[in-house]
Amino acid sequence: MRAVLAACIVLLLEAPALPDAASHLGKAIRLMQDRLFSEAAAEFEQALAADPNNDEVRIRYATCLFAQERNAEARKQFEIERQRLGDRPGLNYYLGRLDLRANDFASAIQKLAPLEKDPALSDVALYLGVAYMSAGQPARALECLERAARQNPRDPQVHYRLGRVYSMAGRTDDADREYELYRDWQENQRVAERDGHECKDALRTQPLAQARIVCQRIADPNDSHRLILLGELYSENGAFADAVEPLRQAVKLDPESFEAWNGLGQSLFRLKRYQEALPALRRASRLNPQFFVTLTLLASTLHALGDDAAALPVLEQAHKLNPDDAQVTARLEQLRAALKGKR
Amino acid sequence: MREPVIYGPVGRVDYILESMGCGVAFLDYDNDGWLDVFVLSGTRREGPVAGATNRLYRNNRDGTFTDVTREAGLTRQDWACGVTIGDYNNDGFDDIFITQWGQNVLYRNNGNGTFTDVTREAGLLHQGTRWGTGCTWVDYDRDGFLDLFVSHYVAFDFQSVPATGRNPNCNFKGVPVYCGPSSLKPERCLLYRNNGDGTFTDATKAAGIDRAAPTFGLTALAADYLGTGWPDIYVASDSTPSLLFRNRRDGSFIEQGLELGLAVNEDGTEQAGMGLGLGDFDTDGALDLLKTHFSGDTSVLYRNIGRGGFEDVTLRAGLGVETRYVGWGAGIQDFDNDGLPDLFWATGSVYPEVEKAHPDYPYKTPRVLFRNLGNGRFEELVSAAGPAIAEAHSSRGVAFGDFDNDGDIDILIMNVNEPPSLLRNDVRGGGHWLKVKLLGTKSNRSAIGATVVAAYGGRRQAQAVTAQAGYLSVNDRRLHFGLGAAQAADLEIRWPSGLRESVKGVSADRLVTIREGEGVVKVESFGAARRMS
Repeated sequence: MRAVLAACIVLLLEAPALPDAASHLGKAIRLMQDRLFSEAAAEFEQALAADPNNDEVRIRYATCLFAQERNAEARKQFEIERQRLGDRPGLNYYLGRLDLRANDFASAIQKLAPLEKDPALSDVALYLGVAYMSAGQPARALECLERAARQNPRDPQVHYRLGRVYSMAGRTDDADREYELYRDWQENQRVAERDGHECKDALRTQPLAQARIVCQRIADPNDSHRLILLGELYSENGAFADAVEPLRQAVKLDPESFEAWNGLGQSLFRLKRYQEALPALRRASRLNPQFFVTLTLLASTLHALGDDAAALPVLEQAHKLNPDDAQVTARLEQLRAALKGKR
Repeated sequence: MREPVIYGPVGRVDYILESMGCGVAFLDYDNDGWLDVFVLSGTRREGPVAGATNRLYRNNRDGTFTDVTREAGLTRQDWACGVTIGDYNNDGFDDIFITQWGQNVLYRNNGNGTFTDVTREAGLLHQGTRWGTGCTWVDYDRDGFLDLFVSHYVAFDFQSVPATGRNPNCNFKGVPVYCGPSSLKPERCLLYRNNGDGTFTDATKAAGIDRAAPTFGLTALAADYLGTGWPDIYVASDSTPSLLFRNRRDGSFIEQGLELGLAVNEDGTEQAGMGLGLGDFDTDGALDLLKTHFSGDTSVLYRNIGRGGFEDVTLRAGLGVETRYVGWGAGIQDFDNDGLPDLFWATGSVYPEVEKAHPDYPYKTPRVLFRNLGNGRFEELVSAAGPAIAEAHSSRGVAFGDFDNDGDIDILIMNVNEPPSLLRNDVRGGGHWLKVKLLGTKSNRSAIGATVVAAYGGRRQAQAVTAQAGYLSVNDRRLHFGLGAAQAADLEIRWPSGLRESVKGVSADRLVTIREGEGVVKVESFGAARRMS
């Protein structure tokens, strides 16, 4: 969904949120990260009240409503944006999925079918398959779901859906194969979760050398989610040097992952490897321009590299997102003063 | 019914056992035609609580009940969980089986208002301490005697499981809480075959029940889900795939929850299965299922699609709007007699500690009622459903039945550390109804496992006689069909023995008793006529 959101809001940054709106937007994004959707929705509403023409705020608000299954409200917001911005793939993606939820399968197919080739929308084939199945077109559904399985072979949901379609078609052997794949990938996720807990405990309770042995179980060079998790766990426990390699591998596997770039940039920053941190944090801030922590780290990195002029607008943006942060406020004042002095 | 149902401490929960609550039952233990009530109870870890016991309430037939627990010989204070009611010895009186953390108990109804604990002589003692939860009578081999299925939740003891606050990984919204099932060991189910002489034999292995993966099993619901004439068993499982034991018609089962679309939701995600409702919301003559889950997730509605099993229609049915509460006992029941079964579930948080830090996550929460719109969709009724629906409790078990014999469905609810709620339905609108009571002859006497399809007003609605539903609870065994404007219905009965029987043109607004192979043997009029008199 993250990539889809990016597809929606890309190129909207020429019109940054007004200060009041930015502050609520920043809060809302943090609440969304913590999956506190109803609280986030309230913040988005305040942001919109302060800046009703801000497309990014409205789109994020709509996705928040979508996540809460507040379908009618989500549709209303997406439709407003479609009228403002035209037929963007990301907007049609959500509207198509809302059609699916509303049992309007023909409309869902109409909106989703043209999006299948969009690389940012990697799960379109899955939902299109569901729409075809619900519309009573099992042959088309099968084509889509088989394509979805090729595109996302590690997604248990795809295998489950495909298994259901095979079952309904009486193709028992094919269904059994898909259920087996479903079980395998589900188990893979479960094991990853368990390994994550064990790694976390080990990092908290054991010397790093011993914890590394436990945590190494998470490392799968072909699975960006596991690599990101490993990097984040090391990073959370201050083992920044250990975090770098898995995160480097993760960004290679999934160059659109904000978490991977942000984690990598953060770890390199903590290691004072500012030259290397800079491109990672820049990439992360492009992928998620409203994430307060990334912006503050990026500003600090630029400052550490002596580029205060570049750091200033970044820190100003961070301040807009969280004007209550006393540390950022103080740093901003220092930076402004320093730049004034230089002039 | 004023005595609170004791279940763990008030205002905090230290262990998972204290959080799960227990079931309730509608039964007619004295065969007087009026529903009596059986309410299970827990206890407290610190020691016995004065007055805490499972309770049997006899229906006084005037809207009140009398506590007859002691006279009936049912006084017991333990960690009771589930209940199943059925006439296992075919003597014409309902017997009671309850699951517990510890040792399960079978009470034989002596037919004189008293019960005898016959667990040992029936061969139902098990080794060690187990946490029995779901239980249901089911005649899986169609020999006319009710067998017994038991599910288990987790391997639990107070010594080895850390209490609230002892494990930093066990927190909710940042507040330390008890450790949930995911950190504990899941358990397998058990099946006991009725030997027909008052004793049972453990048939778990022989019937293939032990081949299913262990899960965090809760409510067990036996019915002929696939229309084969043989009973299957479905187990709502918490945080693990739910189980569908498909009857292979040779004395054994194969677990096919995934293959039949009942293990997970449509996204393939495991859900926290708690309670179950069985009914036919789309009136197509096939049994559908409703399963409740934890907050942040929807309850799931599975539509029976015949050969392919079931499909998850939760979002399409409009249920996605309600994710606020932890859901427990559930039902697919026609509360307004319009001929379209509605949905109900009770709710209640498991973390009383959390609301202090997060008022948005209260411990006591309202009931949920969705009205069937007749087009495959439902609408949630909030204020329109009356104050009893809006009332907040931390509820668990739910049973549905017509306790005042007035022609509608009432609701009995277990509330943690509070007296139970009995919601009397005073439906208006003039919709007709029909109640069907089945008496098995070749089949088990309780007719548990029978399916009745009522045809009325262009609809065909299926219902099943069950021995556990809701959440670890038991519904009125008299099936209640709302008929809307229709003044009569045709009935098709699939008896547990395999016999199929049809009864045409049964007039509405009455209770008909049908004896296997003999058709209607008794007609009783009550409802509006009774109210007016």
